[in-house]
Amino acid sequence: MTDNEKRTILHMDLDTFFVSCERLIDSKLNNKAVLIGGVSDRGVVAACSYEARAFGVHSAMPMKMARQLCPEAIVLRGNSATYTKYSELVTDIIKEEVPLYEKSSIDEFYIDMTGMDKFFGCLSLATELREKIMRETGLPISFGMSGNKTVSKIATGEVKPNNQIKIERGTEKEYLGPLSVRKIPMVGEKTFRSLCDLGLKRIHSIQEMPMEMVSKVFGKSGAMIWKKANGIDNSPVVAYRERKSISTERTFDKDTTDITKLTGIMSSMAENLAFQLRRGGKLTACVSVKIRYSDFNTHTLQKRIPYAAADHVLIPLIMELFKKIYNRRLLVRLIGVKYSHLVGGAHQINLFEDSSKMMDLYQAMDEMRDKYGDRAVVRAVGMGTKSISRFNPFDGEPPPLLPNRRR
Amino acid sequence: MKFIVSSTSLLKQLQAINGVLSSNNTLPILDNFLFEIGKNYLIISASDLETTISAKITIEAKEDGNIAIPARLLLDTLKTFPEQPLTFDVNLKTNSIEISSDFGKYKLAGHNADEFPKLPTIESPASIVLKPEVLVDALTSTLFATGNDELRPVMSGVLCEISPDDVTFVATDAHKLVKYRRTDSSADELTSFILPKKPLNLLKSILGNIEGDVKIEYNKSNALFSFGHVNLICRLIDGNYPNYSAVIPDKNPNKLVIDRATLLGSIKRVSIFSNKTTHQVKLNIKGSELSISAEDLDYSNEANERLTCEYKGEDLKIGFNARFLIEMLSNMDSEAIVIELSTPNKAGIILPHNEDKDNKGKEVLMLIMPVMLNT
Repeated sequence: MTDNEKRTILHMDLDTFFVSCERLIDSKLNNKAVLIGGVSDRGVVAACSYEARAFGVHSAMPMKMARQLCPEAIVLRGNSATYTKYSELVTDIIKEEVPLYEKSSIDEFYIDMTGMDKFFGCLSLATELREKIMRETGLPISFGMSGNKTVSKIATGEVKPNNQIKIERGTEKEYLGPLSVRKIPMVGEKTFRSLCDLGLKRIHSIQEMPMEMVSKVFGKSGAMIWKKANGIDNSPVVAYRERKSISTERTFDKDTTDITKLTGIMSSMAENLAFQLRRGGKLTACVSVKIRYSDFNTHTLQKRIPYAAADHVLIPLIMELFKKIYNRRLLVRLIGVKYSHLVGGAHQINLFEDSSKMMDLYQAMDEMRDKYGDRAVVRAVGMGTKSISRFNPFDGEPPPLLPNRRR
Repeated sequence: MKFIVSSTSLLKQLQAINGVLSSNNTLPILDNFLFEIGKNYLIISASDLETTISAKITIEAKEDGNIAIPARLLLDTLKTFPEQPLTFDVNLKTNSIEISSDFGKYKLAGHNADEFPKLPTIESPASIVLKPEVLVDALTSTLFATGNDELRPVMSGVLCEISPDDVTFVATDAHKLVKYRRTDSSADELTSFILPKKPLNLLKSILGNIEGDVKIEYNKSNALFSFGHVNLICRLIDGNYPNYSAVIPDKNPNKLVIDRATLLGSIKRVSIFSNKTTHQVKLNIKGSELSISAEDLDYSNEANERLTCEYKGEDLKIGFNARFLIEMLSNMDSEAIVIELSTPNKAGIILPHNEDKDNKGKEVLMLIMPVMLNT
């Protein structure tokens, strides 16, 4: 057996995490249908209790539809600070108990338990860990255990809520076979539909195909899908992931063509992200803007730039890109800004274009923001826009998931 | 038309001027060397339209005539010959060339010499004479500091300022700047022009083994360097050079004196541990201790070294791109250097610490912009 074949990987997932947190705060919510997410008409469901799921509600569904399906549900706006706090409580317990873990999102963890069998027995250790988390935080959590990340994650999803499972080595294919191909991580709505069109509904069918055939249809990702379907996944548990990009976006409650408002938001998003870069000691080499019109046509435009983290470099660039991309005089539904190709480093001061006064100003502004919050000082043009950012992207934590990305 | 030339002396000259040829010429004729044959002399030229360089060698010839010969083909052939006389037989009607060596004959198709762009003539030039070693020193000290930004073409060249008192060479890419001044050369009139990087690099490599002086003739649009049997003429960069003297601080209060080689060695070592793209290092000066540190969070790499130095001024933390520091320190020749600093966001100045005045008439000033560190 090679090293990869004798690993033990545990996947832990907090059940209906946001709902569980709310229930800890208010026990009246217990055993009731609860929806968490945007409360406006544009809002989507970020999380819902199992009681609500019985009505056909699922996360990422428009809130409007969810309310129609389940009129008696209690709707909450949710508070990401609270969830982050509870998530950290759980992280602390895991950190104390295991040698190597990866926090892949606010409510999910991968734990590498390889070698623990010698002393403790992996399953009993995992069970103890799960009980400890539930005892100390009051949050229900489920886990799946197997030889790799993919199988463990699928297994967790199958046994939820409030349960645990161990897939014995060698039985992975058997276990995955009868499940829907939709259960494979990385198979989204589109891939699922293409697979269905090919008559591949069960993982079993993919297992029986030669890998080459799947990769012919889906290219590189085809090989990945085939491997995952066969319970093969050599990806390691990575303790800390460096952020490769930071971004922010805003969906409007009502579509708009108000150019003053749009440029104001663009500018303050660019400004806030530039501050995040400087605070994290990062420079960006690629900026991009995104715009979604009311007809859901989405455009992005990006530009490679010399490494930068200064407002007076980035904001004009973003504005220039935005001007280029917003040319359709149509109602706008969403706008966003992204900085990618990040590297560690600080702004290289320019002999002719930067003055030391301006550099001192940046440092003073950043210090104020560090002390009194992200929006302690902002440019006047961005004053009207509500809070754009709320978290430090470079603290090693995974980003809080946007509701429309959850699934 | 026939001429006889020594294979190695031809190769030597061709290799010297070959550097001007670029691989992506707009005009196909520029992939050729121009051969101009006169009574017992041969002038070979290569050009990229911006820069033309020509060299003269003595040969045996009876007739005049001009022909353009494909450069790559000719060079590749010549490289394989041991020293021997080669006979070139050129048919000027068909532009075909036949080369005869001790081993055999080689035929190649040339081009009409009239297609080759004419060498610009410099009208009403002013001139200055420099020693080749002075010019090489000036170019070595400045060329590395030129910029690569196509949007700012003036900064991709070296500014040459000539006055009755001195000659000054300046290069900057807005992050670093070098000012190289000679008080032992001068001209009658006050002028300045910007020389492009490519011909200067070429000059630097050819000038290494030249005896005699280099004469520079210049007007508003062109400059001609003549030395030995070689002429190099280049178009000047048009535009206004940034006002560099306004941005060089002259009253930086904090002065640090340190051995150049020691500092260079430390920075080279420490910067290996800095981020692979940004190469940033931190200098922390306290009393007479200079500590240099770098870290790369992506790989958990970290390095820290301590040096003793002579320091007069306030304690200071300042960040720099290590590559700039390394380039500057390796292009200085004094044993000790002075680093003059002000605040962490203002320019630092590096000067030779001249206790021994070996370099009479030479003044070098290097300026480096810091990076904005988080407080």
